Amino acid sequence: MKREQFGRGSILNYIIALAAIFALNFILPRLMPGDPLHAIYGDEALVAMTPEMERSLIREFALDRSWIDQLQAYLMGLSHFDLGYSYYYKDQVSSVIMGALPWTLLLTGLALVIATALGIILGIESGYRRGELLDRCIVASLMFLSGFPDFFIGILLLLLFGVALGIAPLSGAITPYAGLEGFGYLEDVIGHLALPLSSLVLVQLGGIYLLTRNTIVSLMGESFILTAKAKGCSEFSIKYSHAGRNSLLPVTTATGLRIPHLLTGALFIEIIFSYPGVGSVLNTALNARDYPLIQGILLLITVAVLTANLIVDLLYSRLDPRVRYAH
Amino acid sequence: MHIRPFRDLINDRIALSGLSMLALISFMAIFAPVLSDYSPYDYTGQIFSPPSAHHPLGTDSMGQDIWSRLLYGARTSLFVAFAVAILSSALSLFIGATSALLGGIYERFWMRVVDAMISIPTIIVMILVAAYLRPSILLLIILMSLFSWPGGARIVRSQVLSLKERMHVSAARTFGADWKHILINHITPDLAPIIIAMMIQDARRAVFMEAGLAFLGVSDPMMISWGKMMQQALAFTYLNVWEWWLVPTGLALSLTLVGLSFIGFGLEAAMDPRLQKYKQRRVD
Repeated sequence: MKREQFGRGSILNYIIALAAIFALNFILPRLMPGDPLHAIYGDEALVAMTPEMERSLIREFALDRSWIDQLQAYLMGLSHFDLGYSYYYKDQVSSVIMGALPWTLLLTGLALVIATALGIILGIESGYRRGELLDRCIVASLMFLSGFPDFFIGILLLLLFGVALGIAPLSGAITPYAGLEGFGYLEDVIGHLALPLSSLVLVQLGGIYLLTRNTIVSLMGESFILTAKAKGCSEFSIKYSHAGRNSLLPVTTATGLRIPHLLTGALFIEIIFSYPGVGSVLNTALNARDYPLIQGILLLITVAVLTANLIVDLLYSRLDPRVRYAH
Repeated sequence: MHIRPFRDLINDRIALSGLSMLALISFMAIFAPVLSDYSPYDYTGQIFSPPSAHHPLGTDSMGQDIWSRLLYGARTSLFVAFAVAILSSALSLFIGATSALLGGIYERFWMRVVDAMISIPTIIVMILVAAYLRPSILLLIILMSLFSWPGGARIVRSQVLSLKERMHVSAARTFGADWKHILINHITPDLAPIIIAMMIQDARRAVFMEAGLAFLGVSDPMMISWGKMMQQALAFTYLNVWEWWLVPTGLALSLTLVGLSFIGFGLEAAMDPRLQKYKQRRVD
């Protein structure tokens, strides 16, 4: 698909998108029937609330004043990274998220690197052997796999390795109260990471692989490949330096566009494996109807996705010189 | 070269297997009352009963017949898929085509909206909205359609931009046809394959999103949904009930999604002239 706007135009798009998300976060609780304080904090929170706390919250959100003042108060809070107070965790939303974020970053970061590397290598190898038995087997199995919903792949791995075979831990990121240190701790973390990470890699692999393979297949007919073959380049060099290098461009773009999928996939997979990242916190928040926490997490993910897409947009024009010349 | 995507689709093995998976799920959905003796809401008298002649997949923690919930869950999934596909592609077609035909500020406005909306992660926004509204099935369909049209609108617009320069459109315009006539009689028929491909994608996303939201527990609790069933079953992995509760439900959902993806893959291959070239070369 042709991408039409770069540079300033695309930054403007992201600003509009961000404004729309802030607006949605601001408007939704205030649209709900009844007292907006109930909607912002949820009914469960108000049971535990004293009249003084309620008054101070009303003052903080400027709920007794016009909606322009409310919007101002909301934006002021955001600019200080004040996402509100989670009554469930009895802590600031931002510090609850910060506590869970390292696990999510570990999981998604590793998954992105492994899935991309594996997808590109498999894609190059199978695109080069187009039509052979190996190629057809990989295409069929990964096409099938990429159709599966992320959370069911996670569930299948959990049932197979965790429940039926009992060789992997069922939940969490570390063995609680084990007091492990050094190498033992690392081993424990890897053991707990193995299943969620494999599920996430399996979910991501299909798309990257199919795209690389298709690109390689269409590149193999190009004349520069013929030239490389004619001048006696090694098979490895044809595959990786000639065809592989030229397939990086669409793959980079697609990797960036894959980040939303990666993050939502991680949410589901963390919930299945009770991995203590942002996804599990979101699940807890959804069950407890802890609205400030739900809003904070979803806002953070949206901003992360928008930033990633913006970076890909900017990188894309760096990677493909034709785009720069065209403007 | 003239492309006939629908003829190629029938000859494509992947698309054909996708169509048969979807046919199986549709069969389950349509004949749900015939295939099961129990209502999906009824309490059957015992919980966690293993599969038997009366209950092919046993009963769940609420004592409901799992097989009949599976059948009626197919209805929910397919209804959501179908409705979102129709509504969302209608929006894409209307906004994409009118933007291309009318141009000017109207076009720039909508393309700006499309660009901004495409960068927003749909499922995240849906989780947020659903957490507040706990949407019923109809509201869910409307919300999903409102968030999934922009991608299609952009494709339709670029197609219409190229189609409207074609000879037969110019001829119609010379005869005094207005843009409504051109859109309905000359452009829409040529857009059909792309619109079908769009609908398949919308349907796939809708099935996934409905199940995902139910799995997170943020949709209407009264709705019979595969996602909801999986969420409930996941809490009982320490019993062996997952064998006939969690796995069949997940497989049904996966079959629907894989079926839709395969049809999509097949259509994509049938419509892409570059892939066609390779196909023909192989035949030669």
